[in-house]
Amino acid sequence: MKTLIVFFALLPLGYAYYSLENAIDPIKMLYTTTGVGTITLLLLSLVPSPCQRICALNLLRFRKTLGLLAFVYALLHVSVFIVLDSELDFTTLFEKSLKKPFIYVGAISFLILLSMAFSSTKKRFARFSRYHKAVYVALILALLHSFWAQKVAGAFEYGMIAIGIVLLGERVWNKCRFTMSKRH
Amino acid sequence: MPTPFITPEILFEARRHFLKLGAGALVGSTAISRLLAAMPEEIQLVYAKDPNLSKLTPNPFEHVSNYVNFYEFSTDKTAPVKMAQAMKLKPWSLGFFGEIAREEMVEVDDLIAKFGLEERIYRFRCVEGWSMVVPWIGFPLYKLLDYLQPNAKAKYVKFTTRHEPDIFPDQARGLFASIKHPYVEGLRMDEARHPLTFLAVGMYGKPLPKQNGAPIRLVVPWKYGFKSIKSLDLIECVEEQPLNTWQAMAPEEYGFYANVNPTVDHPRWSQAKERLLGKLTKQETLMFNGYEKEVSHLYAGMDLRKQY
Repeated sequence: MKTLIVFFALLPLGYAYYSLENAIDPIKMLYTTTGVGTITLLLLSLVPSPCQRICALNLLRFRKTLGLLAFVYALLHVSVFIVLDSELDFTTLFEKSLKKPFIYVGAISFLILLSMAFSSTKKRFARFSRYHKAVYVALILALLHSFWAQKVAGAFEYGMIAIGIVLLGERVWNKCRFTMSKRH
Repeated sequence: MPTPFITPEILFEARRHFLKLGAGALVGSTAISRLLAAMPEEIQLVYAKDPNLSKLTPNPFEHVSNYVNFYEFSTDKTAPVKMAQAMKLKPWSLGFFGEIAREEMVEVDDLIAKFGLEERIYRFRCVEGWSMVVPWIGFPLYKLLDYLQPNAKAKYVKFTTRHEPDIFPDQARGLFASIKHPYVEGLRMDEARHPLTFLAVGMYGKPLPKQNGAPIRLVVPWKYGFKSIKSLDLIECVEEQPLNTWQAMAPEEYGFYANVNPTVDHPRWSQAKERLLGKLTKQETLMFNGYEKEVSHLYAGMDLRKQY
């Protein structure tokens, strides 16, 4: 099952590679594929836990796979930024690009995913799992980054933000309910 | 009071156009008029060729015709290609108003007959960071302005895209529209009269594809692409600086001038380099998009960081 998830999740990358030669705006196409992939997988990785609370369906074992796949997409996204877009010009990258909120918001989101991927081995996860709540911050920043990437945000960006709000809202609501019931 | 016996102007124009077609008038079926509406794509335009002294290599037609920002249809770059095909381009008259000697409406075909056609191979740089090279067909705007005879009060030229929600679905979305409609752009009179400033009715030897701003659009090659307003409805000479759509939408990001300038960044991204469509590598963006020699005198003494 996990292999199947990995296979389907990586399909868009295969397609992107295949269509690269005929792409009208290749760099933009790679940005979009990897960016949309990251956000979709991040959102999917947040589905199992409310799924368990609401439909009593245990999909928790897929969270790590989905999260790591999101990281792979984010890593490719950042590689496009560094290699193709900035053309390895690190001076400009650090002195100019990183000063723009649009860029550093994305960069912080990536750093969070990076540290989560790094601490996702069984041993490390036991120690660092509580810090993995940072994924919520990573998601919010990634959504903001995608919102800013467009000249004006369209249906897709608003749709992703709406799904994000539902998934995060469910958690907040659940937590409130839990603390309320404890008080009584 | 309604006046049912007066033929609406659009129908009048349509009939006039139809009658011109002699043989077609004998048949008079809607199928034929539909056929005629679809015809422009096939026509080969007659025009004076650009000697292309700066040896620019145009992008393939497929790039230019399949990658457009036409928010009246969609914010997607390819969706307008299909959506625009239902557009009816004839009749299409352009209104000329404001501080000019002759206020009137003129059919696009009549403009072509009046001013003739020439080719201009121009660089085109979008504020989003991509660029292309396009062989436009049309006539310089100054020829039209000479004909309209702006008076002393005419300090700016204001351009407006047609507002017709039946054609442009985004104009029917009200509060949920992606931008404010109708789209408005403006130029200072000296910019408008500059020989590079162009009204295009075609590209690659043929009439403009609908998704590229048919039947007539502005092209200002040293400014970011959003200044090159599509599917024009009105050209007005005015005293006050027009508030162009993108400036109204986000004044801290888009100004009135919008000159291509690699040293002045967009607040969200750098403008130093650009992605030439079809290329996986980037290239340096040129000052005034490579037209510095021709246009820099227009902005002498101006702080281009402030007047972006």
